Amino acid sequence: MRWLKENALALAFLVMFLLAVGGQAVAGLLQFNDTQLAEGGEPISFFRYVASSSFAVDVAENWQSEYLQFFLFIMLTVWLVQKGSPESKRPGREGAESDEEQQIGRHAEAGSPAWARVGGLRLWLFSNSLGLVMGGVFVLSWLAQSVAGQAAYNSERLGDLRDPVSWWSYVTSAEFWNRSLQNWQSELLAVLSMVALSIYLRQRGSPESKPVGAPHSATGVEG
Amino acid sequence: MLALALATAGCAADTSAPARAAAGFHAAVAAHREEAACAMLTRKTADKLPDPGQGCADALRELRLGAGGGLVSVSLWGDDAQVRLAGDTLFLHRFSDGWRVRAAGCRPMGDLPYECEVED
Repeated sequence: MRWLKENALALAFLVMFLLAVGGQAVAGLLQFNDTQLAEGGEPISFFRYVASSSFAVDVAENWQSEYLQFFLFIMLTVWLVQKGSPESKRPGREGAESDEEQQIGRHAEAGSPAWARVGGLRLWLFSNSLGLVMGGVFVLSWLAQSVAGQAAYNSERLGDLRDPVSWWSYVTSAEFWNRSLQNWQSELLAVLSMVALSIYLRQRGSPESKPVGAPHSATGVEG
Repeated sequence: MLALALATAGCAADTSAPARAAAGFHAAVAAHREEAACAMLTRKTADKLPDPGQGCADALRELRLGAGGGLVSVSLWGDDAQVRLAGDTLFLHRFSDGWRVRAAGCRPMGDLPYECEVED
């Protein structure tokens, strides 16, 4: 019970993720089969649908944009600040910060991770591991979107009695960039809203907000 | 996710089945077995082909489709395929009982849809 309580946030998001992706699969299957029947085809099974390029591209295009959003947020907040936002460091602290501030090398503390105590490649990797993983998942998801997207797009083109296109033609096509940019714009707007609105608005008890009584000008203060 | 994308992209797809279906259709037409050729069309295509009061086989006979010729290439994406023969390009769709011809006697029109003698 204590373990559940201490991990409630991650578990809640995991359960919501599984419900949402399951719901997407069911709704996507119904829509796909509706189109199949309208075009003279046959409905397909749930398992064939979740293994199809149509489902894969819909999942991947959303994943890549979410991981891009967090990758950019993580990396840009190293160097850029926003006065008054709890999502930002205080002005004047831009950059990678000192070893003392980051508790690495001889400044490591008793509970510091092992790779924070060592130097060289391991310290560099651990110091950038969050950005590397987020950026890596973004690149792989975007690549997956391009591969699955080409397959889904070519299936549609053949259905329209048109020639299929190469991977390169697909990743330079309006279809690919429309799918990518429509996701990116919404993610960037959401981050902009979070950074800007949290200057003036509060959510009592949330660490994503400043304390209710904190001044609007207070930066990097979380409640 | 990438593995799923690669698996769904048809990298290891079996292109022989639609190629056989396309060759079988043209073989039936060439042998004047139009009834058999009509049975290889999708239901939508077979329904659309004849004029009112005409049968599918008669309509196919009147079209006098040219010879298919040897296999040039097959593009297979999902449940759809394009089979290029030396004398024709065909579009096929996979059903639970196998591949059926959606369009045949097709001429390319640049990036626009092919113009086909037989289509749905």
